Amino acid sequence: MDLTFLQTLERERVLEVLRRDKQLRTIEEDRIRRMKHDLQELRRRGAKSFSRQYGERTCARCQRPLGKLWNSGAVCHGCSHRICSKCRVGVGTADWKCTVCHAYRDVKFRSGEWFLEERAKKFPCTTDKYEVVGDKLLKTYNVLSHISVVPPTPPPYLLSDYAFLSRPGDLKNSKPFTKSMEDLMVSFTSHIKKISTSQNDVRGDLLSVDNRKGSCSTYSTQKSLSDTDINKSSRLFKGPSLPNLFKKSKDSDQEGSSTGAEEETSCGSEYSGGKRGSTCSSISTDCGLFEGVGVAGELELALSYNSDFSCLEITVGSCRNLSHGDSKKKCHPYIKLCMLPGKSSKMKTTVKKNMTNPVYNEVFKFPIERHLLRGKRLQASVWHSGTLRRKVFLGEALFPLDGWRFEDKNSQSFNWYPLCPKAQSSDGGAVEQDGGEAMLRVKFTSAEQGDLMQLSSFKSRQEKDTRRQII
Amino acid sequence: MASATATYGQKESSDQNFDYMFKILIIGNSSVGKTSFLFRYADDSFTPAFVSTVGIDFKVKTIYRNDKRIKLQIWDTAGQERYRTITTAYYRGAMGFILMYDITNEESFNAVQDWSTQIKTYSWDNAQVLLVGNKCDMEDERVVAGERGRQLSEHLGFEFFEASAKDNINVKQTFERLVDIICEKMSESLDAGDPAVTGAKQGPQLTEQPAPPHQDCAC
Repeated sequence: MDLTFLQTLERERVLEVLRRDKQLRTIEEDRIRRMKHDLQELRRRGAKSFSRQYGERTCARCQRPLGKLWNSGAVCHGCSHRICSKCRVGVGTADWKCTVCHAYRDVKFRSGEWFLEERAKKFPCTTDKYEVVGDKLLKTYNVLSHISVVPPTPPPYLLSDYAFLSRPGDLKNSKPFTKSMEDLMVSFTSHIKKISTSQNDVRGDLLSVDNRKGSCSTYSTQKSLSDTDINKSSRLFKGPSLPNLFKKSKDSDQEGSSTGAEEETSCGSEYSGGKRGSTCSSISTDCGLFEGVGVAGELELALSYNSDFSCLEITVGSCRNLSHGDSKKKCHPYIKLCMLPGKSSKMKTTVKKNMTNPVYNEVFKFPIERHLLRGKRLQASVWHSGTLRRKVFLGEALFPLDGWRFEDKNSQSFNWYPLCPKAQSSDGGAVEQDGGEAMLRVKFTSAEQGDLMQLSSFKSRQEKDTRRQII
Repeated sequence: MASATATYGQKESSDQNFDYMFKILIIGNSSVGKTSFLFRYADDSFTPAFVSTVGIDFKVKTIYRNDKRIKLQIWDTAGQERYRTITTAYYRGAMGFILMYDITNEESFNAVQDWSTQIKTYSWDNAQVLLVGNKCDMEDERVVAGERGRQLSEHLGFEFFEASAKDNINVKQTFERLVDIICEKMSESLDAGDPAVTGAKQGPQLTEQPAPPHQDCAC
């Protein structure tokens, strides 16, 4: 398809629609990514590991032991695992599913994958023709928007389903990490590889990374390293324990080595735009520093574009009905504004003490050319600023700036926007938090590394499981 | 008013708080009222002036149906032949179609068969189609009897509505019915291909509780 037969004005109209559609798809992909992550999380929790041989009489989901006669469990028709009566969803004696099979089905509905599967019966090619065509057209005709604002710490580029969305620039941007950083990552990765287990749910692409490095044999022989072994070794290159590694990187943080801003240690991982792989997205929810609180409330905000000064003006009005940030019913909310993709420009409001209905009325100006707003989204996230720099996510709202009608008087004035959750998983258990620290550190030390980072963070999550299961 | 709905639309498209997202395509000859139909549904507005759609356009609307929040991305296509290359590219992404003709325009009715062929060619096998005879408020100028529409729809295996974007007749019902049918197809798609469920069905069926009947719309 090409648009050459259209007149210039017509073409602009069509491109405008394509842009709006792309915006919608980006947001939708965000949502799907979160959903799939949650599912993965659920699966991982119940995954069998080497310490529990298959066939052992435990529930495959909650790992509770099953009795021989009483509460002996039953085999799920979906996954053929033996499931206790508590981990079943659905009615009737025969028509139930285990929690994971149920969630899997639900995700298929919610993500629209059922449709893609049905359609694949007729059109084996998996991507939407129009989506590809739309992206191509946008690229062809959007020469102007070939962006000059390069974020200093661009999101890691991951080879994922969403890769086709990324601009080619992202790849180049992800290169400049230092050599030492690379060494650290390699050693860490290989170490983690040794102690990680063979999980049922290890993703295919991760395995292929292992194969490529030709370390499969050591990987399998050394996997029986016990928990104590891990803790004994303290040298980084001989195999550090996770807490030590964490400390180390924290030290380097204080020296201000890599990213400089402390902010990055806690929040950096989250602001990554909608272009990440599913595993990586998990980082945000599992970090120990974030507690899972329910997202509630609304945000009042006005957006306008000042063409005299070429800047986007964001007026943060107020919030209402926010959730409490911690168990003591405290809430010190502030709002962070971020331009996605990339996190080049980040601004924060003041922190309001003890309010769930804070009023800010602060104006922020993002200097940006009008045409550069294409493909950008404004992320407004609400955070509770707790003690000891602990931050709790209270909700966010995304504003597609593409096609935003700035001239429209109504969008210039205040509007209330509902806050959305970032992800719904994370049951906030203590076990989960242990592993979270490791991931947090990984993210921090090499914020710009793509594949390797993904691998290591995933592995560290596995390790957490291993440890739990060994114990 | 129009601007108020515009901002509302923006809010809707960035909203992530929903369960399903369905894509629906409206097709039919030029000037049968596809755009008006969509505007009536999404914005509850109507303009008698005829503005030809350039290529494609869409609107987003979130509805609450069967205890689920469903976000609809409704594509409005240009009826004119010259945009055909653009519009057909969008058939493949659509889960359901609204095929529209104008009851005061014989030609648009005669073209229904062709449009239906287009759907068969470019869309998935289970594409859900609703045939809609628009402008049913203009009874004086009617040239296509309601019965003919019904017969054709039965012949093609579609469901049928006569509607009016101008007087807001059957507009909401049309979309809601289509959403219901897509929901049904959705459940079927997984239940049919899912060994879990088919396996369960082989078990003792007599003791099984019948599944709660799918909630149908009132029409």
